[in-house]
Amino acid sequence: MKQSIKIAWLYPDLMSTYGDRGNVIALQKRAAWRGIEASVVPVTLETNVKALAGSDIFFMGGAQDRQQKLAGEDFLKHKGPVVKEMIEAGVPALFVCAAYQFAGHYYKPYRGEKIPGAGIFDLYTVHPGDQAKRLIGNVVARVVHPETLSGTVIVGFENHGGRTHLGPKMQPLAKVIKGNGNNGDDGWEGAVYKNAIGSYFHGPLLPKNPMIADWLLAKAVGTLIPIDDTLEVMANNAMR
Amino acid sequence: MAWFDRLTVIFAKSISVISTSLGLGAGETWPGEIAVSIRPDIARFLSGKLSDGTILVAGTNGKTTTSLMIKTILEHIGDSVVHNATGANLLNGIVSSFIRNTDWLGRVTADMGIFEVDENSLPVVLKYITPKRLVLLNLFRDQLDRYGEVDVIVEKWMTALAKLPKTTEVILNSDDPGIAGLGRVIKGKVTYFGLNDPGKYLGVREHATDSIFCFRCGHRLTYDGIYYSHIGSWRCTKCGNTRPVPTVTRGPSPLPGLYNQYNALAAVGVATSLDIPDKEVKKALRGFAPAFGRQEEIRVGKKTVKLFLSKNPAGFNASLKTVLEMGAKDILLVLNDRIPDGRDVSWIWDVDFEMIPPSVTVGVSGDRRYDMAIRIKYADIDIPSSRVYQQLEDAIVKSLKKPLKGNALYILATYSGMLEVRKILKGRKIL
Repeated sequence: MKQSIKIAWLYPDLMSTYGDRGNVIALQKRAAWRGIEASVVPVTLETNVKALAGSDIFFMGGAQDRQQKLAGEDFLKHKGPVVKEMIEAGVPALFVCAAYQFAGHYYKPYRGEKIPGAGIFDLYTVHPGDQAKRLIGNVVARVVHPETLSGTVIVGFENHGGRTHLGPKMQPLAKVIKGNGNNGDDGWEGAVYKNAIGSYFHGPLLPKNPMIADWLLAKAVGTLIPIDDTLEVMANNAMR
Repeated sequence: MAWFDRLTVIFAKSISVISTSLGLGAGETWPGEIAVSIRPDIARFLSGKLSDGTILVAGTNGKTTTSLMIKTILEHIGDSVVHNATGANLLNGIVSSFIRNTDWLGRVTADMGIFEVDENSLPVVLKYITPKRLVLLNLFRDQLDRYGEVDVIVEKWMTALAKLPKTTEVILNSDDPGIAGLGRVIKGKVTYFGLNDPGKYLGVREHATDSIFCFRCGHRLTYDGIYYSHIGSWRCTKCGNTRPVPTVTRGPSPLPGLYNQYNALAAVGVATSLDIPDKEVKKALRGFAPAFGRQEEIRVGKKTVKLFLSKNPAGFNASLKTVLEMGAKDILLVLNDRIPDGRDVSWIWDVDFEMIPPSVTVGVSGDRRYDMAIRIKYADIDIPSSRVYQQLEDAIVKSLKKPLKGNALYILATYSGMLEVRKILKGRKIL
């Protein structure tokens, strides 16, 4: 088992709107409580792309429109291709909310041109128009992929206008029990590709769904020893 | 059609009085709602009757305290004031306050209005009420599921402020880049308030910052120093956009906490613009009693509870820092997710709970107590399940039963939690 890992947090000052830090804290603490030292490397506009080398896990969160534009331009041009290559090679990653949309092929706003995405995930997102309802609220869903977690229940909060549709290379993360998920239509929430996960759940995702956090960590370090999750399980159950 | 406006007011007032006497509620919002539904522009008629005009206060944090400070100063110098003291700060709440301050002929019985206004409602309130003074305090992320993003509010405000006449003087926080930037669209006089106190700059920046990119060109702002969140001495090295030099930098703050220093500066800014002498401002604020749930002290037997409304990351960080400075050793956190709190509680992960030292005992309660419990656990603070309280009353009773390590039990609560704490300890939610 690896004794230390590097978590690369993409654009912590730009893409961090809905308590996204909780996902990073969860990874870091759940490693530390097992004696694995986890350092967090903030990667932002001014960071050299070389800083990504040796990253064991990637995380990218949600953003306000203006901030997303700034981060998006930089990611497409500089960091995106490197991250894509590493994810293809099996590095675990988590993309939440705006980052989930942005990891796909494109985002089509209700007005104007398609905004190109990083093409890491085989998916696209469409905003159906300014009269369309934003999908906001608590969500409960049953995991279908990765298979080792199949059947477990994840809880979170969603708040998005865009509707995401998965391409054939993606596997859905979970089947929605309560709430909307990817598009409010096909019943799926989130997506899995190799060791990378995308999700609309902020809330944030990992603290109340520790099995997802541990799955990502295990992909980075190998088999994990169990730790006490009494509070996490109670928090998860309370939302069902 | 002033007679029709008056009739509307008398009608709404009658229904309000009848229903209140039947115990159907205190009428914080719905008498106004009735009046507005009959006469959408009733606020224009009512505010037009104030001989000394209206003052409006808006911003994410501090509007209740700041408007109460301004009211305290105005009453000290003998003005008669209509004020939405209960925090009903949408158009219907403001109109309701007016209706309470009219006689049976529908005449307004005050000289001046001082109202706090909800961030989203400011544009619509400005459509009907042209204030004499407008105070804008700050903008932080708050209830994103309801208010949307900070940038969106800044844009809406900019459009609304550009329409204000020259006669409206505006008092702006120079240290909040989003607020300070509004100055350029205002036709009337602009007064900036802010701190010039590098000794109070933060060593380590907080995680919860929103407006750290230039609103003019989008470049990352450079800070000489930050007081809290994104409030500080800022400039843009790309386009030259810079923090305006504040003229109001000193004021007597009657309450602890840097954020209250800003509230006091805003109130002093208004007082100065109304030519109220400094001496009188000082005298007025000396006897200032905090607004409900804002650093409110409640005696319970021989013990003291200090209640801090804490409803968003910037506000929560400010409350936490202040209670720790005040010597808090026993803290109870109350997290609800009802409509007035916002349904989304993910923001607790943007609060720096890591600042709580191990010597402090922390308990949690509220609808979303488990979310808070995990947040505390992941800050490496001890939170045994015996201090995760299902019932708020139980949480308060048990926390007070044990000998307190510090000088009081400090309760930090979201809005509906704060009201419940008051209901339990004082028998009433608001005033």
